Amino acid sequence: MAKNGGLWALMRTVEVLFVIMILLSAFFITTYFAVLPSSSEAFGTNLRELSQSTLETLDSQGILSATVFEDQNSTAWGDLQKALSASLPPNIVYNLNVYNLSTVAGDITYDLEHSISDGNLGVNSDASSLLVTSPDVTFIQDPQKIGARTGENITLYILNCNDANGWWITGYTGQSLAEDVYNLLSPYFITTVLINSTDQLGLLLDDSLGEGDVQNAVVVNTFGEAVPISSDHANDYSGDYAEYCHFLGQRVNTYNWTWVSIVGYPFYYVTNVDYFTSTQNGYGIYGMSAVANTGANAFLRGLNSDPYFGTTSDSITTEVGVVDFTDYVLERCNYYGIYPAPYQTSSRALSQNILSDYNLVANELFVRSSSHLTYIPAATYRHDGGGALTAIGLTRIPDIRVAALALLVYYNPTIYKTVFGASGTSVLVTLQLGQQGGA
Amino acid sequence: MTGATIDHMVSVTILIAALLVAMMTYNGLFASAIDYDRNRQVANKAVDIMNTICLSPGSPVDWGETNETLLGFGLQDPDAGGYALSPYSIMRLMTSNSSSGSQIVYYPKTGLYYNNLSANYGHGVLTPLGACVNYTTVAELLGLNGQYGFSMDIDPVLDISISQVPVSPPQNQLILKVDVSGSGLPLSGATVNYNLFHVESGSQYPLMAAYSGVNQTDSSGSAVIEFEDVDESGDAYSFIVYVSIGGVTGTGYYTHNTIGDENQLVIPFIQDYDQGTVIIAHSWDVNGAGSPPVPEVKYNATFFALTSDFQLQEIEIENNTGHLLYGEGNPYFTTQLPVSEVGLMIISYKRDANRMGTVILPWGVGTLGVSAYFDEGFGSSGYDFVATELRQVTVDGVSYQVKVSAWSLSG
Repeated sequence: MAKNGGLWALMRTVEVLFVIMILLSAFFITTYFAVLPSSSEAFGTNLRELSQSTLETLDSQGILSATVFEDQNSTAWGDLQKALSASLPPNIVYNLNVYNLSTVAGDITYDLEHSISDGNLGVNSDASSLLVTSPDVTFIQDPQKIGARTGENITLYILNCNDANGWWITGYTGQSLAEDVYNLLSPYFITTVLINSTDQLGLLLDDSLGEGDVQNAVVVNTFGEAVPISSDHANDYSGDYAEYCHFLGQRVNTYNWTWVSIVGYPFYYVTNVDYFTSTQNGYGIYGMSAVANTGANAFLRGLNSDPYFGTTSDSITTEVGVVDFTDYVLERCNYYGIYPAPYQTSSRALSQNILSDYNLVANELFVRSSSHLTYIPAATYRHDGGGALTAIGLTRIPDIRVAALALLVYYNPTIYKTVFGASGTSVLVTLQLGQQGGA
Repeated sequence: MTGATIDHMVSVTILIAALLVAMMTYNGLFASAIDYDRNRQVANKAVDIMNTICLSPGSPVDWGETNETLLGFGLQDPDAGGYALSPYSIMRLMTSNSSSGSQIVYYPKTGLYYNNLSANYGHGVLTPLGACVNYTTVAELLGLNGQYGFSMDIDPVLDISISQVPVSPPQNQLILKVDVSGSGLPLSGATVNYNLFHVESGSQYPLMAAYSGVNQTDSSGSAVIEFEDVDESGDAYSFIVYVSIGGVTGTGYYTHNTIGDENQLVIPFIQDYDQGTVIIAHSWDVNGAGSPPVPEVKYNATFFALTSDFQLQEIEIENNTGHLLYGEGNPYFTTQLPVSEVGLMIISYKRDANRMGTVILPWGVGTLGVSAYFDEGFGSSGYDFVATELRQVTVDGVSYQVKVSAWSLSG
């Protein structure tokens, strides 16, 4: 028993020695592998962001872009080196490399062109890069002229009548909007003509203006819900101005125009400040007379070659509230670089019944409101016999870019861009920073 | 039997010792790991704060230029983007409560206290406290929720000092020396765009003659600029330079007054950022009465817009002249600056034909190279670990560095 007890104690001793060996082994293994990063690596200044901000600020005045395309003997390189040394803290060393981008057999290659350094970066460093374009290179966007695809010379007529007043264009005048339309759309047309008076509009309607090509033209009415009328036409239609709207519809059909109503209820008023000197629209705006609901109905009947029927109180619009651009229109916003708010408030959406009533096909801009699926907030309505109406049934204050976008979506002109990244026009600049000293 | 038992006891003792050593070592390892993790969180928070400050304009995006309530904090210039900071938003920081801020100024005639974003010699920006954002608001908007403290230091990259070089023998001439350095190194070959605003007595209100030109620093980073027909000690003037090299730009100024007092006699206060209105006040109404007689001060204010190529272009402002009197019943004057332009409003004033001066209100901190330091008022002393972030930015086209320090308040 005593012998067995001694053996038992010896075995326990051996076991304990084993345990000690295991413990020590675990300790050494853990301390060998469980190595925390150095504090400078973990908590040092974020060198990548410092590098990026340095490159961006050096290029904020275009100096970096100008320098990296300079000859290697240029003093600009010395200035850049001084700027880097002056702007970075003394404990930060840098290495700036400039790579020329070239394309060989379809692959982009980076060739080191120039390098500036002020010391050994050491073990811990980080870098960022900036793609710089030569200041001598101009990138041109050349829009295709509307009608060029089919060989047509489509003229843009913008109503800029100095003797007309607008309505539903709060904050603007028809003339200021005409200028905006000119800036937005004239690059897309071979010929742009400003109609500077109602008399000129009268001549245009009779194909007697002598400027531009009347056939297939686009006519933009910048006066909102009011449409300019010449004194002669006002006399002709003094009994019922809605018949003038019918006449406009006929002309749009005959000349195959696209008539653009930039905002609100189309053809709700006629305007001529010299003719309607003592007539106002019910809201204190003189120089216009209300046609009310009959105007749009009469225009569409004229467009459809239907006879004029006389006055009606039937409204063909309703208020549908906030609507969103369709995905296609949003994509076109990017394509043409026109960015109105992606959602708008529609208070004058046209009933879809006009499509069947007047043989129209709608090119819509917005997703229809789920609560008003039978109303179209904004669209270009193409008549199958010729002519079209772009009606932007949104509330005021107008955003003229929506009307411009509607036309571009309808005609879909191509934008031709110069080739970006041509050899020798772009270089890649990298700035590698290292931190010296510290913990 | 006894020997084996003793061996066993010894081995158990060694085992216990080994266990204790292992526990202590592992405890140290765990403590280091926990410290590392905590510090890493603080370092990440410093990066977050810096990104928000430099790369977000806040909400509303033009909060620095309007009277709208601040809903989100950021200092990025919404018109420029990138690493460009809004000069107006920086002016709206309540820096006077910071640990190294200039003292708040009280103006009895408006009954308001003003934050003092001071440059030097009376130049600077005085903003009503109600129009400033304080540290607590900013910390809340940054989502720090009392867990982290931070400080922000916005300083020009280039150090520019200007001194007068004595003219020997004394004559009607002024020589100024501009010393330019960055990170302690003198900058040679830098372009110096300079502007001298020389005050002349005029018939009723003082007049200001402007001289401008371009020079270059020499190998020691200095440029010496001479002006004829300006008396170095007898005339009042302000001298402002914009120095550029390789994409880095800095600004410096030097003012010489002949009023015989180290304090300016005229103090401009910003009244409204939205409208750009500025109050022009008699300094005795602010600092208290000095030695009689009471000085009557006639001033002439001129606004110079800073162009993108660092030229100063004069823009007319309304109510640009006035006659300031001290005491009750004598109202202050107001003028209006163009809110769409950054620049300098330089007020030339005279007490009499021989005692004149200039005081500058930078409309946009970068135009005069004003620094801003913003913290809770106690700094980071006493905290074990402080993480620091550094970025290069521009303010009004002038190169600045932003340093953000962050620390954990939970110990």
